[in-house]
Amino acid sequence: MHKLPGVYLDYDLFDLGALPDASEDFVGFLFNIREKFGLDDVAYAGMNPINGSVFGHVTYGDAWKMHYVEHGFHRIDPTLQKARRSIAPVDWSRLERDQDFRRVFDDARDFGIHDQGLTIPVRGPYGDIGGLSVTSSLSRTEWNKLKSDVIVGLQSVAVHVHDMVIRSDSLSNLLKTPNLSQREIEVLQWISAGKSQQDIADILTISNRTVEVHLRSARHKLYALTTAQAVGRAISMGLIYPG
Amino acid sequence: MIIVIDALNRHKFPKLLDEMFKLRARVFGDRLGWDVNIVNGRERDHFDDLDPAYVIGLDDDGDVVSCVRALQTTGPHMLADVFSAILDGEPPIRSATIWESTRFCVDTKRLARGTGRNTVSYATCELMLGSLEYAQASGITDIITVIDPLMDRVLKRSDNAPYDYVGKIADMGKVPALAALLDCTDERITRLRNFAGIHHDVFVAEDEIAAAENFDSAAENNATPRVCADLAQYCDDQISTAATEKEKYAALRLRAALADRIRSGSGMRA
Repeated sequence: MHKLPGVYLDYDLFDLGALPDASEDFVGFLFNIREKFGLDDVAYAGMNPINGSVFGHVTYGDAWKMHYVEHGFHRIDPTLQKARRSIAPVDWSRLERDQDFRRVFDDARDFGIHDQGLTIPVRGPYGDIGGLSVTSSLSRTEWNKLKSDVIVGLQSVAVHVHDMVIRSDSLSNLLKTPNLSQREIEVLQWISAGKSQQDIADILTISNRTVEVHLRSARHKLYALTTAQAVGRAISMGLIYPG
Repeated sequence: MIIVIDALNRHKFPKLLDEMFKLRARVFGDRLGWDVNIVNGRERDHFDDLDPAYVIGLDDDGDVVSCVRALQTTGPHMLADVFSAILDGEPPIRSATIWESTRFCVDTKRLARGTGRNTVSYATCELMLGSLEYAQASGITDIITVIDPLMDRVLKRSDNAPYDYVGKIADMGKVPALAALLDCTDERITRLRNFAGIHHDVFVAEDEIAAAENFDSAAENNATPRVCADLAQYCDDQISTAATEKEKYAALRLRAALADRIRSGSGMRA
């Protein structure tokens, strides 16, 4: 089978779920994404529908943050309000240059922020929504090249940061229990016993890529960026036995 | 031609979406006998209210001949809910890089048999290509798709066989349904392109289709000589300034459609 892009191995982003107090360092995580992917700025915004709380973490400078909040731009910002209704990443060139767009980006330009960017919309299972936005001042050609190089990795980190932010909200603690399928547990159990993906594929008589699909789903449900983390958490939760 | 319609651009394409819901009613309600909700000749469910993306195939006349619906597996989607029988009580796969595709259908009545443009086989391959390329460009590595055994055979025949299946085959009315996995890799896309003999970009510029949709309604509502003359002039300009074959083709098609409206407009005045 075809090899999957090694998004989890290529980027040694630190794992938010591994931090003792994860809520402390969302911004550090965004700066890390900025460095790894070669971007100008990275911003996350999300909403927990259970209590209506809104979260924002950005790498923008304080001056722009204050200006943005003072003018209530989050209520009209099309990179939040419009882009979140797409299922695919929205390149900002797709957004109409309407009054709202110009209000936000005419001011943004004065703060040295470009209107070339991309928003990755995230949807969670409980109606929680979020978006990871990134900006770049590269030429259009270079930007398109960069986008196709990092899009798979950005999808993964967007969902990861969203899940961690929503999970940090104490009201959603009730929803934390991971809901793993028998197959996902089985695959993790074999991994912890030291088997390779191909071994597991042979044991379960499924394809290597299907093993990878179950593994990725298990990592997602355990809020883990790496397989080692997922195995560790599955053991600590009693979902699998230590290998 | 393939167009992607989602919450950001759907206000431009009310007619295409309406045609799509009618096609789904004909296929899933009338032909396949699935247990679906049809109101006023349109098949819709509550996943259509969750801002999904629709990949839609159009024939050379600009009519809807195929469609499929995509949702993120991290959020609410069909396998997590109404298709849970397929998973036999197991929780669904959730991943940032896997999308779910549902309601894949092709208009077998409007399209001809055989191969070549405007046939069932061509429209099916074109729609599959459009979905795979749209997903791949979005950073999606795999698609989990809910299909019936007939579509499963079509996929296999098109050198586009699923690489695996998840869960079991479950009853969805008259026919069973199953969940198949497709990778969004260059290898699969190349195989499918070679099988179908499609080597051009299948996506059509959104503005061309939106312009056609607007002109259709403008001509229907108010075919005054002044408007018709303006539209004819617009088309001639578009044809002479077309930068690519595709643009020129679209402009010619628009003028052909318009010529018809002008005739019916003057007929009414006489």
